[in-house]
Amino acid sequence: MTLSSHPRIRLLMLAGVVAILLGPRLGHASERPQVGLQCMSYGTGPMLECLIDLKRKDGTPIEQAQINLGALMPSMPMAHTIKPVRVAPTGKPGEYQGTLTLEMLGVWSIDIDIVAPVRDKVSRNLMVNECKRDLRCAATLAKPGDKGPDHRPAKGHGGH
Amino acid sequence: MAAQPRTVSGHSSAWVNEAVGQHLIGLSSDMAIMSLLALSAYVLLLVGRVSFGQQAFFGLGAYASGVLSVMFHAPLLLALGFGMAFGALCSWLLAMPTMPLSGLQYAVATLAFGEMARIVLSGWQWQVLSPDGPVGPAGIEGFRDIRWLLEHDITPAHFLGMTLAILALVLVVLMRTERTRLGVALRMTGQDDTLAATQGIDVSQVRLFAAAVAGALAALGGGLYAHRTTYIEPALFDPMLGVHAVGYALLGGLGTALGPLVGVIFDLGLLDATHLFSGWRMVVFGGLLALFLRWRPRGLLDEQLVHRLSQILNWKARA
Repeated sequence: MTLSSHPRIRLLMLAGVVAILLGPRLGHASERPQVGLQCMSYGTGPMLECLIDLKRKDGTPIEQAQINLGALMPSMPMAHTIKPVRVAPTGKPGEYQGTLTLEMLGVWSIDIDIVAPVRDKVSRNLMVNECKRDLRCAATLAKPGDKGPDHRPAKGHGGH
Repeated sequence: MAAQPRTVSGHSSAWVNEAVGQHLIGLSSDMAIMSLLALSAYVLLLVGRVSFGQQAFFGLGAYASGVLSVMFHAPLLLALGFGMAFGALCSWLLAMPTMPLSGLQYAVATLAFGEMARIVLSGWQWQVLSPDGPVGPAGIEGFRDIRWLLEHDITPAHFLGMTLAILALVLVVLMRTERTRLGVALRMTGQDDTLAATQGIDVSQVRLFAAAVAGALAALGGGLYAHRTTYIEPALFDPMLGVHAVGYALLGGLGTALGPLVGVIFDLGLLDATHLFSGWRMVVFGGLLALFLRWRPRGLLDEQLVHRLSQILNWKARA
């Protein structure tokens, strides 16, 4: 007889799942912040340097926020995991900066995970193109249905 | 972009550790979700069916559960259950007309269904007004703001615990079922359906049942994925996702329900997370799969190895 075949253990496991699913009902709908995102790509990887502008609905900047910046490829969910970075304030009120090292060119879904002082998550699809020579270039909002360049590893294209 | 560069290196080590912890939690959640999709492909492989369309049920489950939790404010459990039921129904409806098809024809039919479902989702627009603006599926632009977890203060660690508990429950049910008459019927149907039919097994019913279970499992994974990421779009559910699900099941092995997990851990946990082989990862994964299909066609944990391992475990238990 295996552990899981014991009726009490099975009942406990089932109760655990139900408790986890139904348990945390203490939620509240916090006011959603306004999130601005501008990113520049450069160098090998390519690197993606992003500026995040965080404001309340009334336009006042949100300071001392804790934000994780991550990315995934919409064309292959869960298979290109970019380690998220914690962004840092730039000194300008409500503005934060973080740099991601991507794996290739193409459309990336940039995840802005705001941990505090409000809890929210925002995703933007950006097209990361190859920059010419040593230039940095803006990653623009991807058009719906865009897959971008072939998913080939980005070649060294200048950078720092 | 004139800001002074101050990247993560400027942070305290506690922040970096926390970010790494969050990354591991996110990666583990992804692996658990992908395992559900791989298990859905595994259930069909057991009855001798190769499906390249499981991503469709993953997507349909993601949309169905998202609609219920966002637009009808249903609790997560109910939304996931609805997604599973919808996935099972769609998979069963697909299995009915494709029943007479042979292996290759069935694989192509499922691939075509996967693309059909993606096109339908790309054209589906149904939004309602919320205090933060319109929410709901918006065609090719996807479905944003699936914020049930955020609105209920569920942390990523809590979500991981929940996903692992669901995966464990699914595994226990599958592994228990494999020891029953139904489990034997599933394997017999997959290995020789003519012989199974002569033994009194209703092959069609067994395959319909397997298709419904597979659809439900894929839809469950999709529902969890939608709530984890808060954003889904039709482009996410392209054939590569379905091909990977089959690949994980074939690589890990068809001898036990733990096989697909081995495939997922190998690819997402080892090759992708460690960036081993970097841009060559897909080539390595595809190459390994080709080698396995040649020398271990039923995967690493095939029936023979599982039988040998269980004999060793039984012998040790007796000793």
